Amino acid sequence: MSNFLIETKQLTKIYGDQTTVNAVSIHVGKGRIYGLLGRNGAGKTTIMKMILGLTPITSGEVKVFGQNMKGGEKRIYPRIGAIIETPGFYPNLTGTENLEIFAKLRGTAAPNAVKNSLEVVGLPYKDKKLFSKYSLGMKQRLGIANAILHDPELLILDEPTNGLDPIGIAEMRKFIKKLSVEYGKTILISSHILSEIALLADDIGIIDQGILLEESSMEELRQKNGRYIQVQVSDLPKATLILERQFGVKEYSVQDDHTLRLYNTTLDMAAINKALVMQDVAVISSAFCNDTLEDYFKKITGGEGIA
Amino acid sequence: MLNLIQTEFLKLRRRKFVWFMLSTSLIMPFLALLYFNYFGKKDIEPMQFYKMSAYGFTLFIILPIVLGMLCTMLMREENQYDMLKQLWIVPVSKMGYLLSKFFVVFVYSICFMLITAVASVIFSVIPGYVALEWGSILNLLEKCIIIGVLSAFVMLPILAIAASQKGYILPACVTLVYAFSGFILMSINAYLHPISSMALIVICNNDIPGVVLKQEMNIPFAFLCIGIWDIVALLLSNIALKRRK
Repeated sequence: MSNFLIETKQLTKIYGDQTTVNAVSIHVGKGRIYGLLGRNGAGKTTIMKMILGLTPITSGEVKVFGQNMKGGEKRIYPRIGAIIETPGFYPNLTGTENLEIFAKLRGTAAPNAVKNSLEVVGLPYKDKKLFSKYSLGMKQRLGIANAILHDPELLILDEPTNGLDPIGIAEMRKFIKKLSVEYGKTILISSHILSEIALLADDIGIIDQGILLEESSMEELRQKNGRYIQVQVSDLPKATLILERQFGVKEYSVQDDHTLRLYNTTLDMAAINKALVMQDVAVISSAFCNDTLEDYFKKITGGEGIA
Repeated sequence: MLNLIQTEFLKLRRRKFVWFMLSTSLIMPFLALLYFNYFGKKDIEPMQFYKMSAYGFTLFIILPIVLGMLCTMLMREENQYDMLKQLWIVPVSKMGYLLSKFFVVFVYSICFMLITAVASVIFSVIPGYVALEWGSILNLLEKCIIIGVLSAFVMLPILAIAASQKGYILPACVTLVYAFSGFILMSINAYLHPISSMALIVICNNDIPGVVLKQEMNIPFAFLCIGIWDIVALLLSNIALKRRK
């Protein structure tokens, strides 16, 4: 079995003559938070629905816990907690009563499951407030409480911060992080808000118009797109030798035959240039670069749209 | 399945409309009381009173409409609040889901007819229109339970329509058409419609005065009619719920 809790292969969804999801292959590792980032209508929810078997797949394959989702729903669902779009509950019941219904349906054995899950999301147990009177933030929290009620290994959260105020977003982010760090949950989360994904996710999949443009770890992305010094030289091997020996540079990457990126931006560039030139390495250019993740996303998605 | 049924009843908490609809079971017994009071009749045949209070419009119009509304209400909530996705990933089977709703309708229907029976006895015996006879009371109870049980099966097509719709307007309209067409078809061909077929089963002993049938009584045909409609309804609702993903 692979280390991926979710693995999709060439996942495709076609509605009529419109391809909503086009050959998407994502890999969600165990214990990781995977952020699916894309504009509204990019296909994030459709991917999540296909993973959960809530919408038929046109072509491709979904494996959850190493098993094919199709046909394995009864074994797989009890190990998953999910919110797809806005979580819906019975408006005439309180939050506790709503969760009691889902606990009964799931046959949740733990006696304090409802109380515990409400505690995790910071909602009161046995409160008299009806769901119809809940604020959007409370509704989202209740949705998450329902998703974690049966202590699943995997959480699939579709835009859980949708419609929340900034404080609500920060709180939601905090307890999603908590679920991963303290409770060891694997989380697949979607959002159209870059900053949210950047702060939460360990791995990221960027989707645009149904196509997965990039899949990598946040660490790799940050390295690619943080502050760095870009140096173009005539003799790259010699230049790296000088940088390593003379300046102790360890954090760098080679872009092509003549280009280097140095990630320690505190280096004295004047001294580096002088040392390179003195040892017969021509410096074609050297510059400080400050690519933000946002710039990168704009570049690869071809425009605006990701906040 | 038991959990599903239990949760269906839990979902009805604080639903005042459910109780309000149940109170409509008193309409016909009360109207029967007014009717016999108006004509100042005393010592009438119990069956005459019960025919009006429990077997007439209650069977053909009131109970089907009330159950149709209940079916619509039960199905609409989860559709309206987009809850089906959450239920499917529990996982809840589609047939189990539908049958649990049916069970609520079944229990409700029996309760409705039992209230009608009790109200009929109270409204007839206490004012003194009907003499207290245990035989007729037991007969009334028996017929009311039969109506209650059969009505739930008879209303399965409405449950199927409600399952296939997000809104409530179409199921509500179909309920009205369904109830009235059953009433009309009784005098044309009772074996075409589940409601008229149910009426035939209820009156099979020919013990209700003033009922003249244009067709020959054939009880297996009446059950067959209800059965066919129910099978088609179950198939359609299964397809509709699968599309509902």
